[in-house]
This record gives sequence, structure tokens and C-alpha cells, in this order.
Amino acid sequence: MYALLSITSGIAAGLIGFYLGVGVTAAVRAIFGESPWDTQLSITVGYVFGLVGWLMGVGMWGAWGREWFGLKTYARKAPGWQRYFVFNTDHKVIGIQYLVTFVVVFLLAGLLAMVMRAELAQAGNQFLSNDQYNAVMGLHGILMIAVAVAAVIGGIGNYAVPLMIGAQDMAFPRLNALTYWLNPPVAVLLLLTPLLGGLETGWTAYPPLSVLTENAQLLFNLAIITFGLTSILGGLNFIVTIMFLRAPGMTWGRLPIFVWSMFVASWLALLFTQGFAAALLMVLLDRALGMSFFNASEGGDPLLYQHVFWFYSHPAVYIMVVPGFGLALELITHFSRKPLFAYRYAVGGLLGILGLSGLVWAHHMFTSGMPNYLHGPFLALTEAISIPTGLIFLAGLGTIFMGRLWLRTPMLFAMAVLFNFALGGVTGIFLADVPTDIHLHDTYFVVAHFHYTIVGGEIFALFGAIYYYFPKMTGRMYNETLGKIHFWWMFLGFNATFFLMHWPGILGMNRRIADYQPSLEPVNLIISIFAFLLGASFLVFVYNMVWSWIRGPVAEANPWRARTLEWQTSSPPPVENFPAPPVVRGHPYEYGVPGSVHAVVPGAMPAGAPAGGGGK
Amino acid sequence: MGRHFVNVAVLWALLTALGIAVILTDFFPVVGAEYAEEFDGIFRLLAFMGVPVLTFVFAVVGYSFFAFRGREDAPEDGPAIFGRGWVPIVWLLVTGGLAIAVMIHPGLTGLAKLAADPDGYGWGETGADLVVDVTGFRWAWAAEYRDLGVTVTQAGGGELVLPVGKTIRFEVNSTDVVHSFWIPAFRMKIDAIPGRTTFMVVEPTEEGSYEEDEAFRVQCAELCGLDHAKMWMPVRVVSQAEFDAWVREHQSQQ
Repeated sequence: MYALLSITSGIAAGLIGFYLGVGVTAAVRAIFGESPWDTQLSITVGYVFGLVGWLMGVGMWGAWGREWFGLKTYARKAPGWQRYFVFNTDHKVIGIQYLVTFVVVFLLAGLLAMVMRAELAQAGNQFLSNDQYNAVMGLHGILMIAVAVAAVIGGIGNYAVPLMIGAQDMAFPRLNALTYWLNPPVAVLLLLTPLLGGLETGWTAYPPLSVLTENAQLLFNLAIITFGLTSILGGLNFIVTIMFLRAPGMTWGRLPIFVWSMFVASWLALLFTQGFAAALLMVLLDRALGMSFFNASEGGDPLLYQHVFWFYSHPAVYIMVVPGFGLALELITHFSRKPLFAYRYAVGGLLGILGLSGLVWAHHMFTSGMPNYLHGPFLALTEAISIPTGLIFLAGLGTIFMGRLWLRTPMLFAMAVLFNFALGGVTGIFLADVPTDIHLHDTYFVVAHFHYTIVGGEIFALFGAIYYYFPKMTGRMYNETLGKIHFWWMFLGFNATFFLMHWPGILGMNRRIADYQPSLEPVNLIISIFAFLLGASFLVFVYNMVWSWIRGPVAEANPWRARTLEWQTSSPPPVENFPAPPVVRGHPYEYGVPGSVHAVVPGAMPAGAPAGGGGK
Repeated sequence: MGRHFVNVAVLWALLTALGIAVILTDFFPVVGAEYAEEFDGIFRLLAFMGVPVLTFVFAVVGYSFFAFRGREDAPEDGPAIFGRGWVPIVWLLVTGGLAIAVMIHPGLTGLAKLAADPDGYGWGETGADLVVDVTGFRWAWAAEYRDLGVTVTQAGGGELVLPVGKTIRFEVNSTDVVHSFWIPAFRMKIDAIPGRTTFMVVEPTEEGSYEEDEAFRVQCAELCGLDHAKMWMPVRVVSQAEFDAWVREHQSQQ
């Protein structure tokens, strides 16, 4: 049992590392005459040692570490399903590892949302105390942030990008495996937070509260700094892959739009994630070593954190939603059977978002008491982002208009992205505008807005992509009827829940509260009922996925008659992706152009599927 | 093709009319200050500008869903329209123009008004008929009426009593973590940050109280831990005469 061996040796080495770290801390402290145990310091050092131990134990030692000492490396060759539980460097395996992991995390965090809506169905505290509510809310927030950052990039990106550009793998396959295996400790730490007092600060972790609060915060900081590392390393890997591993003929002007969006998101991740990590590291140092970055009485400044934090965390929403845009446009093009409208403008839109995203962070701080002269520039720059975003809409709407829409489940989700994000974008204007934001800031209006953009924009695209790539990943077809039921159920549940949620925000319901004013009870009850409806829709999804993966009918290599490269090989593809290196001859989206060819894959096409240029 | 454009335009107009009808309903909380009217006006204006944009997307997506269905069994290719001509340029000009318009008005003009009139409303540091020092701490508010010798606290069952028609400057502080001082009826909030003083100037225009409308309350709007949800205190706006009487009563008690 390679899978069992890999995981248990990872856990064992991790625990040994942890205790070693605690021991080293105790020894060093003893030399200076301090007590051997200091909660902040011992756990931090123990975690760092434990993390290295976990990685080595889970397979990094054999596949990579031995090399550093001049020894021969080896890889655990695990058969069948067991390959998902070892230090596997195949990007397709890693993509599925990411996807399954984060879909599970998504469902778990969704369950927490159900708990919150149950508590909020009535005014007063029903079954959660205030601190329990804060813990549930904080965990829901950070787990969903992790899903939004990693599910599309780590899951769909890892799986599809090398295939779409005609590469054999990512540029740094071992780094890719390392990136994935950093995630389980993050999940474990976050899930342990309720045992150490629960998160009190939400996912934003504003000091001084995050410095003063329970030790759950320590686990949170360690987890998220690690998670930031996965983002940075993943971003680096994608940038190098897309720049240097494109097949012959795959010029920048022929790059599929999803690859472009991954390129942009990877730059965002590489450039900005350190902001979040640095902010949380400063909180950690304040907690563990009393460094007073944010302690006003010692000369620190709480606003420093907010600037550094939002310098990452606003670009982070584009790390989330830009690959969502890319996926939506990708699916819309294939299912409209029409070229992507204004391709170059859509790419320009993505690059425009990249350029502007680092210049808007302080719109999260309009009421923070920062200098008044900052409000104008941040208002204007924030609203300017609607211009590149508008180009994404131009491409999407221009493609479906006059198309031959093939309304399968992935297409429904992709069209819903345009619908939902339009609303999320328009409500964003109210929050970018300082006079309206003064009232709406930190209310349920904001909660509704960001769920519309991130869930409506990215998560809908993610589910569309899961259905789209299901036959490619598993070799089997999902059930179309159940897929459509899931879509309509989720779409209606989502819009009913979150459209209504703007209203209590305007009326004066602040966010992150276990209890609210009695007059807000009726609208909250209705929101809760719709939220339960939304939550239930995922039962259909889970059933469809599990059943189809085991029992679904065998899929064709290219069930969608799509022209991009990932569909010009077998489903699932061989380890080396293509039997021979593909050669790209033309644009990927020339639907309706007689005789057009995107790429030629020598000897690749299985019988019964149309060839690489099958647009006729 | 022309038929489709007409149909989309009609659908767009209908959806926009529907959206405008929704905006025209009264969905705001009670108006308690000069700034609240300003807020409601800007909110409506932004909604008027946003609705046609929104309904344009809805109309194209919705119409395409019904009108451009291909065959379910064997997909065929649509027309090879690449969108390389004048359409993207016009789109860029229109959306860019809209973005710049909304930036200027109500964006920067609203901001200018906020900044130019520190005595009326905004974050001015000077001028006011009455100064109240507000302190946030976990998890309650305290307000000290400067020069009047009156202090009200949330813990003591206090109520923030304010005179109508006077400008009031709140100087806001925190003793521990970040809080946010928010009165929904006034549509104004400012964070309470340890180590610095922040300012908020309002002019209540209507008498009212928490008993009449829950928007008359001081609410903490920045997550501050355990009892964040319970960190609120009622607000009562009264006439100057009633306010003076209230001050005298509290001065004698304290």
C-alpha cells in the first residue's frame, strides 16, 4: 500500500520534526535561563521543523532530497487511485489532487455557511454563542478564500494549462508536487483552530485584535503563510511554463484565453502574495516576540497592517476571478461554436486588470481614518478597473450573440458567470464611491457584493470547468440531466440568497455578527431559507460526480468537438500528454472558418473523434 | 440580424424599466441627518447609472439563451465573426466614457463636497456646535460631551442624546482594538483606531430615537472579537430645549 506508506511516513516524519523543533526551542531557551515552553515560539518552531519533516516523509526525500546529498532519487510508482496519495510530479495527477481536495474543503466551508445561516435565521443567539459564531464565520471565510485562490489555479490550471499549450508537464514538476503537498498541513492547522479558542478576527486578521486574541490565531498565521508560499511557487511555475514550454507555433497571439488568464493570475500571485505573508509574519512576530509593529502604545500602527494586507488582498480577488473569466470565455467560445469575439481586446482586458490591480487596495480603507487626500485617487483608480473588465464582457457577449449555442451544463455555468458578475461589478461601484461606501462599508451589502463576484464569477466558472473537464480527467461522462438540475438549482438559490442580502446591508445590518436588530428578522429568515436551498444543490453535484466517476458511460476523446489542444489527445491523456509533440498551425478559436487548423498532433487521434482542426 | 438587434433593444428597455421601478421603491433606512439625504441621492444616482449596464448584459445573455440555440445532438459552427473592426473600439469608448463619468460625478464631486464642508458633514477636524469624545473598547461605547461634564456609557444603559439642527463633531478613539463608529440613520461611520483620533461631523436633521427606528443607534462595524455583535448603543435626537434639560439632569447626577 504505497498510498498508506506515503501518508503515514509523512505524518510520522512531521510529528518527529515537530517535537524536534519544540526540543530545540526548549534547549535554546534553557541556555538563556527561560522556561522551556513558550506557546507562541515552541509551536512556531515546531511547525517549521514539522513541515519539513512532513514534506520529506510524504515523498520529497526520495524524489528530490536525496539529490542534495549525491544520492540517487527514486519515485514511488503507485498504481491506480494510489497515485493521488504519493509525491507525484504529473501535472494531471496534481490537478486532480488539488481539485478534489478543494472541492471537499468547499463543501465543508459551505456547511459552515449553513450553520451561520441557521443561527442568523432569527434575531438573538439561537444555538451558537458569540465566540462560537466568530469561530465558524472566520473558518468559513478563510477556507473559502483558500478554495477561491487554489481550486481553479491549482486544480483546473494544473490540469489544463500544460495540455493546452502542448507541453509534456509543468516547467518544474517536483516544485509542483511540493506546492500541492504544502496544502494538507494548512488544512490541518485551520481545522485545529476551534480547539485553541477559535478564530476571532475573521479571515482579515486585523491587529491589534489578532495580536491579543486566542492561540487559534497562531495556527491561522502559520497556515496562511504556508498557503501563501504555495501561491507564490505555483505562480512562478505557471509563468515559466507558459513562457518557455509552449509547443512550436503556439505564439502569444494563439494562446487560448484561459492560458492567458492563468498567466495574468500567476503574475498577480507572484507579485502580491508576499504582502499577505509579510503582514501575517509581522502579527506573528508581535505575538511571539513582542515586536510591536501594531502596538500603538509602543510606537506601532494598526493601519500599517491594513495597508500591507490589502496590498495583497485586493489583487487576490483578481487572482481568484481572472482565471474564472478565462474559463468562462473559453467555455463560451467552444459552446457558441464561434470565434472568441475581440480576442486581442480580451487579452488586453486581462493585462489591464493586472496593471491596475495593485493600485486600488485602499478602497477597503475609506472609513479607516487614513489621510483624506488618498480617497480621490483610490476612488478613481478603482472605478477605472471597470474598463478592462468591460472588455471581458465585450468578448463574452460578442461571442454568444449570433452563435450556435450548445447549451450543455458547462455552457450554462459559463453564461451564468456573465450574468452574476455583471451584478457583482455594478454593486462594486457603490463601494468604490466614497460617499456611499461610508455607509455601506462592513455591511451585508459588502457580503452580497463579494459573493456575487467571487462565487458568481469564479465558483460558477469552476463548476462549469469541472463538468467540462470531467470526461477528460476521468474518461467517463457525467449525467447531463443531473448536471442541468444542479445548475438551475444552484443558479436560482444563489441569486435569491445574495440579491436579497444587499438589502439588510443598506438598512444597517453590519457583517460578522451573531445577532442583529429585531426588525431585520423577516428578511434574514428568507435569506436563510434560500441559503439552505443553495446548499442543498451541491448534493446533486456530489452524487453526479461520484456516481459518474465510478459508473458513468465511457466518454469520447473530444465530446465537446473543441479545437484546443487538450482535446486532441485521449481521455484521460497518457502520462506524457501527447504521443508526439504537437505543432500549432493556427488560432484556437477559428470556428466556422473553412479549412482552418489549430494544431496537428502526429498519430494522436483515436478513432471516432474529429481531428485537430475539426471545424467543418 | 437586424431583427435580433431590435429584439435585444426591446428586451433591454423592458428590463431597464423594471430595474428603475425597483430603484424607485423606498428601501433606505430612516433619514436622520443632512448627510443621509446626500447618501440616498448618490445611491439612487449610481443605481440609475448602473441599471442600464446591468440590464444590457442580462438582455444579451437572456436573449441569446432563447434565440441562438444550436442543435442539441450535433453542434454546427456559427458565423466566423472575429470582432476585429469598429465594434471593440466603440465599446471601449462607451465603457471608458461611462467609467470616467461615474468617477467624476458622483465620485469626485461627492468627495469634494464631503471635504469642502467640514462644518456640515464629513471628516473635518474643526468647527462644530458640540464636540463629543467617543471611546470604543471591547465591547462597549462611551461618549463624553466635551465642556459639558456629561458622560454616557453603553454599560450604564446610556443613550447618545444629540440636539437636532446642530453640527456635532465626534472625536473617536479606541483603547484596545480597531472598532468602527457607525450610526445607520446618519449613514456615517469612522473607524476607532488605537493610538490615533479620527473625526466625524454630522448634523442631525430629524428628531428620532431607537424606540422609533433601530437605525438610530451607534453600532460597532469593525469586527472586534467576542461580543462585537452586542457592541451598540441607542441614539436619540431631540430639540435643543430637551437637550439642554437632559444635560442639566445628567450634570446634577454626575
